[in-house]
Amino acid sequence: MDFDFSDDQLALREAVQRWVYGAYSFETRRQVVQGGGFSHSQWRALTELGLTGLVIDEAHGGMSMGAVEAMIVMEEFGRGLVLETYAQAALIAPAMLRLAPTAIQQQWLAPIASGSAIVVLAHQERAARYRSEHVETTAQAHLGTFMINGMKSLVPAGDMADAYIVPARMSGSVTDPSGIGLFLIERKSAGVSSRAYALQDGSRAAEVSFVNAEAQLIVGQEQGHAALELALDIGIAALAAEAVGVMEKLLELTVEYLNTRKQFGVPIGSFQALRHRAADCKMQLELARSMSYYATLKLGEPAQQRRRSLSQAKVQLGQSARFVGQQCTQMHGGIGVTDEYMGSHYFKRLTCMEMQFGDTLHHLGEVTMRMQASAGVFA
Amino acid sequence: MDLNFTPDEQAFRLEIRQWLKENLPANTAHKVHSGLHLSRDDMQGWARILCAKGWLGFGWPSEFGGPGWNAVQRHLFEEECAMAGTPRIVPFGPVMVAPVIMAFGTPAQQQRFLPGIMSGDVWWSQGYSEPGSGSDLASVKTRAERRGDYYIVNGQKTWTTLAQYGDWIFCLVRTDASVKAQAGISFLLMDMKSPGVSVRPIVLLDGEPEVNEVFFDNVEVPVDNLIGEENKGWTYAKYLLAHERTNIADVNRAKRELERLKRIAKAEGLDSDVRFQDQIALLEVDIVALEMMVLRVLSAERSGKKSLDIAGLLKIRGSEIQQRYSELMMLAVGPYSLPHLPDAAQAGWQGDFVGAAHCAPLAGSYFNLRKTTIYGGSNEVQRNIVSQVLLGS
Repeated sequence: MDFDFSDDQLALREAVQRWVYGAYSFETRRQVVQGGGFSHSQWRALTELGLTGLVIDEAHGGMSMGAVEAMIVMEEFGRGLVLETYAQAALIAPAMLRLAPTAIQQQWLAPIASGSAIVVLAHQERAARYRSEHVETTAQAHLGTFMINGMKSLVPAGDMADAYIVPARMSGSVTDPSGIGLFLIERKSAGVSSRAYALQDGSRAAEVSFVNAEAQLIVGQEQGHAALELALDIGIAALAAEAVGVMEKLLELTVEYLNTRKQFGVPIGSFQALRHRAADCKMQLELARSMSYYATLKLGEPAQQRRRSLSQAKVQLGQSARFVGQQCTQMHGGIGVTDEYMGSHYFKRLTCMEMQFGDTLHHLGEVTMRMQASAGVFA
Repeated sequence: MDLNFTPDEQAFRLEIRQWLKENLPANTAHKVHSGLHLSRDDMQGWARILCAKGWLGFGWPSEFGGPGWNAVQRHLFEEECAMAGTPRIVPFGPVMVAPVIMAFGTPAQQQRFLPGIMSGDVWWSQGYSEPGSGSDLASVKTRAERRGDYYIVNGQKTWTTLAQYGDWIFCLVRTDASVKAQAGISFLLMDMKSPGVSVRPIVLLDGEPEVNEVFFDNVEVPVDNLIGEENKGWTYAKYLLAHERTNIADVNRAKRELERLKRIAKAEGLDSDVRFQDQIALLEVDIVALEMMVLRVLSAERSGKKSLDIAGLLKIRGSEIQQRYSELMMLAVGPYSLPHLPDAAQAGWQGDFVGAAHCAPLAGSYFNLRKTTIYGGSNEVQRNIVSQVLLGS
């Protein structure tokens, strides 16, 4: 047991910090938001830092790093509210492509590492809510390849990505966990169209539709859903780390405000009601940080244990993000709800996180479902 | 004790309900029930309809041209309005400044200002908060210096809701800086078209310019526009805030929004999700309890036997409930509340939604309602007031 970071990990954090504080200022970020929520030039900067290849094998031009390094990057991105869809393109996509036939790996991993290709998961369907096994999109074998038909929602940077990783049904009913394959579809293929929009946190997403779109199989129907669950768990771990950064920065802003804003002739941070609330925020931040470590360190466990742990982490993340977001906003008074103030954007990001990769109630259900394994008493 | 309204009160309720059925424009009700954006015309249009019936000042006594309803009748009227889906009456004129003018204004001021408020023709704004004076309202710095028959006003107000539409503004201004903060404040009415008044919008986190900064640069205000006595403004301000506090508990709107939440949950297929339904059920219990608390205050007010010491709790609980229903609506549609499509919250939008139309306004409304625990005296200030009464110090 050891929760210390290595020197290399500390150096990585410092390098990311330098970029976030130097190149990704709040004003720069505001311009990215106004420009639609994804900046190719910022993406190139991440590439130059080597971050797009962080978890990709050296053989494909990456840095062969692991989940802890990914967590470090996400924490710092959280502090800077980085909009570009790093977790999707640099963490989830490589993990899925690693499961693909060699030819697909050869074709995509090096371009992802070098920053010349962006691949994202496109899994959300309208009626699915947070149930990953709900897949209406269909895949049919056709002349040695596959044809995909269906709609996916809220695909990150969905009109800019070069390719999508798409769960599609090969057999079974709409909610059957078996019978789901994972496919790679290029955005420029015939039958693919996207409609982009901004999200509440300023990032970019799109509705993507597939009409007889040609696809390559990444993972077949026996293992497809298990792979999708791994993708979502990687997403949760990334989100948990990012949330730690977001909350840490928001609490710093709040503490600074409590110490400078004066009412009744004294800093409002001298009022016990607010001091205790700030202490409660610190509690929620550190609980979330602890569970973020837990989530990251459990990613390599067998699926059953991993799923339960990641759901536990998402429940903690949901509770912490809600409390810290709402209370830090409240402690700012009117300033906290203005668009001009940086803090409100941290609050909005925390709010959005609740509804990404399953909300608190969903994951509470996942934890409950697995309780029988813990003591046998609920079986 | 009796939980039921009297037969007279029930008849009164039915009369209101019938009138609303005949007079509330369907298009306006649709917007309210769907959480869509209300334009100035929507709000003013409804104000004029109420005015024609003599109900815009529904809380006014008959001597000033109001219906002279008691506290319970006023509540029934508000409840029927909320459930029918009327816009909220913009409170600054008829609900806030009018009672102050009635209680402390001269007969000349009453004749001059009340008709414009009653008719809905004059849009009032509230000039209380300043950049350095939020919870500590008594520290206002906007100065009004007497020069002959005028005050010369210099300073700045902030968080001024819908001041972009404002014709007049009532302000707390400092007329004596040499005494204790509360003792040097006056209550002044100002024409916002006066030279030297400027308004700058503040965009809130939902992207809407709902509030403003209002600047005063050597604005000449006739001394006739002073309410009551110079340096007694704090008394009038507290009188107004007491009115505001009951008003913003808004239990009736909460009841309507609870129904909307249930409709959204059903449409999202959550009618078989026990875990989510429990959250709605908890909120429902909170709303019933708040309503009972409101009714107890009203009953005490009507009978006049003893005043209840729980009025301060209403704003705290009411605002928390407003935030919770907006949060649950957002969670009900889950990821489909994430797209930011500001135009989709306008009625009749022809563009493409992401998910169902009901998803579009939900996150914005959740963000917007964070203000409710901050404005009108933050909930922290409300708790101070409650605890001061409770602890006697």
